[in-house]
Amino acid sequence: MATSNGRIQPNSWVFLRLASDLLRAVEIKPNTIIEIGKYGSVPSNLLLGRPLYYTYEVLEKQEGELYSRLRAVPPSELNADVIAEEATPDESRAEPGTPSGSGGEGIDIVADDGTVIIKNNRLTIDDASRQALSHTEIEELKKSSGGKEIIEQILANHAGLDEKTAFSKAKYTLRKSKKYLKRFTVLPMELGFLIDYIMLKEPARTMEIREETLGLAMAWSNVHFSKSIDGDDNLGVTAPGGRWLVLDDTGGLVTAAVAERMNLLRKDNTTAQTQANNGAPEPSEVSMENGDSDAKPHTPVVHHDFPIPASSNTITVLHAAVQANISLLKYFDYDGNNPDPDHPLHNHLKTLSWLQLLHPEEDPTYREPETATPEVMQTWKSGKRGTYFKKRRRWERCKAIVDETRAGGFDGLIVASHIDPSTIFPHVIPLIRGGGHVVVYSPTVESLVNLSDLYSKDRRTAYLSALAQGNEPDKEDFPVDPRLLLAPTLQTSRIREYQVLPGRTHPLMTSKGGSEGFVFTARRVIPLEGGVEARGNFGKKRKVDQANGSDVAAAAPST
Amino acid sequence: MSAMEGVEQQPAPVVSPFFHPPLTAQADSLAILHVKRDSLLPVTLRTTANDGYAEGAVTNTRFGSYPHSTLIGVPWGSQVRASKVDTGTRGRKTKNAKSGTATPASEPAEQPPQDEAAADSKKRKADDEQLQPPESPTKKMKAAPEPTIKPPQPPLKAAVEAGSGFMHVLPPTPESWTYSLDHRTQVVYTPDYSYILQRMQVKPGQTLIEAGAGSGSFTHAAARAVYNGYPSDSSDTTSHGKVCSFEYHAPRVDTLRSEISAHGLQPLVHVNHRDVYNDGFLLPSAVSPRANAIFLDLPMPWLALKHLSRSSSPTSPLDPNSAVNICTFSPCIEQVTATASALRKAGWTEIQTVEVQNRRLDVRRERVGIKEEGLRGVNSNPATVEESLSRLREVDAKLSEFHAGKAGVPGAGKVQSKAERLEGIRAELGGRKLFKEGRLVHRTEPEVKTHTSYLTFAVLPMAWGEAEEAEMEARWPVDMTVSEVKVRA
Ligand SMILES: C[S@@+](CC[C@H](N)C(=O)[O-])C[C@H]1O[C@@H](n2cnc3c(N)ncnc32)[C@H](O)[C@@H]1O
Repeated sequence: MATSNGRIQPNSWVFLRLASDLLRAVEIKPNTIIEIGKYGSVPSNLLLGRPLYYTYEVLEKQEGELYSRLRAVPPSELNADVIAEEATPDESRAEPGTPSGSGGEGIDIVADDGTVIIKNNRLTIDDASRQALSHTEIEELKKSSGGKEIIEQILANHAGLDEKTAFSKAKYTLRKSKKYLKRFTVLPMELGFLIDYIMLKEPARTMEIREETLGLAMAWSNVHFSKSIDGDDNLGVTAPGGRWLVLDDTGGLVTAAVAERMNLLRKDNTTAQTQANNGAPEPSEVSMENGDSDAKPHTPVVHHDFPIPASSNTITVLHAAVQANISLLKYFDYDGNNPDPDHPLHNHLKTLSWLQLLHPEEDPTYREPETATPEVMQTWKSGKRGTYFKKRRRWERCKAIVDETRAGGFDGLIVASHIDPSTIFPHVIPLIRGGGHVVVYSPTVESLVNLSDLYSKDRRTAYLSALAQGNEPDKEDFPVDPRLLLAPTLQTSRIREYQVLPGRTHPLMTSKGGSEGFVFTARRVIPLEGGVEARGNFGKKRKVDQANGSDVAAAAPST
Repeated sequence: MSAMEGVEQQPAPVVSPFFHPPLTAQADSLAILHVKRDSLLPVTLRTTANDGYAEGAVTNTRFGSYPHSTLIGVPWGSQVRASKVDTGTRGRKTKNAKSGTATPASEPAEQPPQDEAAADSKKRKADDEQLQPPESPTKKMKAAPEPTIKPPQPPLKAAVEAGSGFMHVLPPTPESWTYSLDHRTQVVYTPDYSYILQRMQVKPGQTLIEAGAGSGSFTHAAARAVYNGYPSDSSDTTSHGKVCSFEYHAPRVDTLRSEISAHGLQPLVHVNHRDVYNDGFLLPSAVSPRANAIFLDLPMPWLALKHLSRSSSPTSPLDPNSAVNICTFSPCIEQVTATASALRKAGWTEIQTVEVQNRRLDVRRERVGIKEEGLRGVNSNPATVEESLSRLREVDAKLSEFHAGKAGVPGAGKVQSKAERLEGIRAELGGRKLFKEGRLVHRTEPEVKTHTSYLTFAVLPMAWGEAEEAEMEARWPVDMTVSEVKVRA
């Protein structure tokens, strides 16, 4: 089935973008009523199955009905204003681009074909020569007389319109101007919209990561779908799969972005393939806990609480607190505390704490629970047996994750953490395979400048000469092994938005400030044992900066 | 071109080294040789070659020669030493003289000629900055030439390490390919394509249309984004992600096709030779690609739009069940105006134009102060008021000493001369840890790409009309008079 669906799906999260550009997240459950602020209440069934990215107008409630109905506004109608404007470019150029700040309901004058002839804001412009009626006069008119009358008055007084016979001959109606319409657009649960949504509400929750920065970090992490191909008969090959290591203090946003690229984020499009996809089959621990004491065949109970993780195409989240904070995954129907075997993250997402990584023996979950013989277990009540097996399942999962993580071999590392990266790297860089990708996001530059400095050419040179002299390099001077990363690079991206309208194209006048967002990237490499000497610019006076040691310094004498 | 023909003769890898890099560098597969920052060489490693080296296939760089026998089988990411190569029969070979690994026979093997990459990097301002990522639009590099004929080979000579020179062997990625490929056209770089693919929400399993394909930089990144496995047999019902690429320049089509196949991407990337303005986006025999996303890097994207509607005939190239994202990539604002206007008329929504401003930062330590006097790459101005005072006093002392000396006052000559001072500074240098001295600063790299192109995005929702609405009314009936659970949006 298609991996994206153009319709609003039952029980899925969507965003409603209101006329004010505010986003609201809502789960569209069948047979419920959605209250949309002052727009009114709308039955969810009026939205289900309808197209995403459509704009809907909340209609006035009809006699005897409890809720409002909706009208799907076709895109052609939404674009009509600008298209009409393009047809008369002279007019548009004369029109100020800034919207009026006046309160109260605005009225647009609309031709029969739906194009807006006069916008509300023109009534408030200061250019007296173009609008002979004063603003108060218009207000008076609006109160005192019918719509037709107002229009005729305005037209009679509007210098610009006199020149245009096509308009003066057309028929007009009044319509509430766009910003007073009760309209909203339904947008799918995509990361870009989720970022917009959080940026407005609580930017700190996602470390203020912007969509452009997230995209940049993901590209440089090389994260992609990479399930191993195990001796496929038809392909005739075996190919390794991939695992990515993630540190995520963005509430799960970065994990979601990684999962999206590994085809693990969404339930709907993968359900059918879950079984086929998983490196490890669903752990079907057919336990004896529900069995009778006699060995009669019974219905096996499959436990989903502590799944044994898949071995490839997986995400390992290393967390600082007792539990990983990845709560934003709820918008993608994933809740770690409420296991759902149909969700691809169920056994492709592994979490472990720093304690479990660095000192697993201190972690109670990692310690093997006592084993009991079947004879002993038979004497237990079923509740006790249940607890016993649950403990063992929990331990097995924990042990599998911890051991596998400590064994390393990850294809990439993605860090978006409050922890100083220079304290993260000594522990995790060795876990990345040669050629693997390392990416660190930070909202501000300082921590990444410090990190880059730990890999500076001078420091690397000093590290190599310490090694060459047979010294253990000083931990304080060399918090990280500077030989392990190639081409460390620091960059930042920012998008600039443009208004593109006939005769009025320009960059937006304002946009959000806040953190710039920086990305550190590098490749994990395997240094040669012993000294290596760079080869430089032969013939000329040897300049250090021409030598090929500028990525991984190699000034150590090759002895 | 001989390089391409050569590729076609090689068996195409079944799975792409871009998606499933094995643990070590493999023969007949693409590797990226990282020679130095900003110098990446894409090379297909070969067990044999006929360009005359006793070691077999050899890649020469300005920083040494690398017989492929020293690369095949090493773990990815390994640092590898250069070798002394034996030109052996090379004097008689001139056939591959134009290619990257071949060198005029007169060159001494220990000092290989500068390859194209090196020559080019020399043109660029050499800079030993740590933070200069591999990005250079002017880069012109060639993959190692693929031998076209394989005469029976004598056993290869074992490579002998050279005294100096090294590089790193990396598995290919779209990024390393983008920064090392042979540019036939302008290409889309990582800051732009990463945002484009993120913003268009391109996911594994989807279909993306791309035109024109140009040098295939975007193609590789797009292939990674849609990849969700290879179809293993005909019973496989999963819909597999694919990229349908269109290009009207025949030689570019050929080059891209051979690269795609050499990279094991042929199952998911379909390269079509087509003028999309006139002939649209259908696949051979008028099959619809059923695209979810479209990327147009063409001079006049608006001319292609008419072929991207829900009602194009004979059939629409779009996925009828999904909203479709589009992005056009145009350097000039006039192109944007025309595109936006065409998008509006064609009923697209969410039309937005942005540009991505990307900068890379250089990080360095800035050493300032009188103790730096006479050293290189530093600023020996006084760093503090105190230092300034001490220097002024010194000058003063020297002056009075000078006068005293003239007057024959005993004890003159106590004040350090400049030469003595510099001598002292140099003597202390060895004990200093310069790598952590000074102030850590960052600034924008010396050259910035201030404009690449404008990106215009838009969305075409699925087609909606009375029939569809009626169907949904029946599917999701409502009783407007019964009160139900309320959910707050
Ligand atoms: C700037 S290049 C694309 C570069 C590409 N995006 C990349 O990243 O490598 C533009 C390409 O569009 C092709 N092109 C221009 N008009 C075309 C048309 N009508 N149909 C197909 N291709 C076209 C050109 O031949 C050229 O190769």
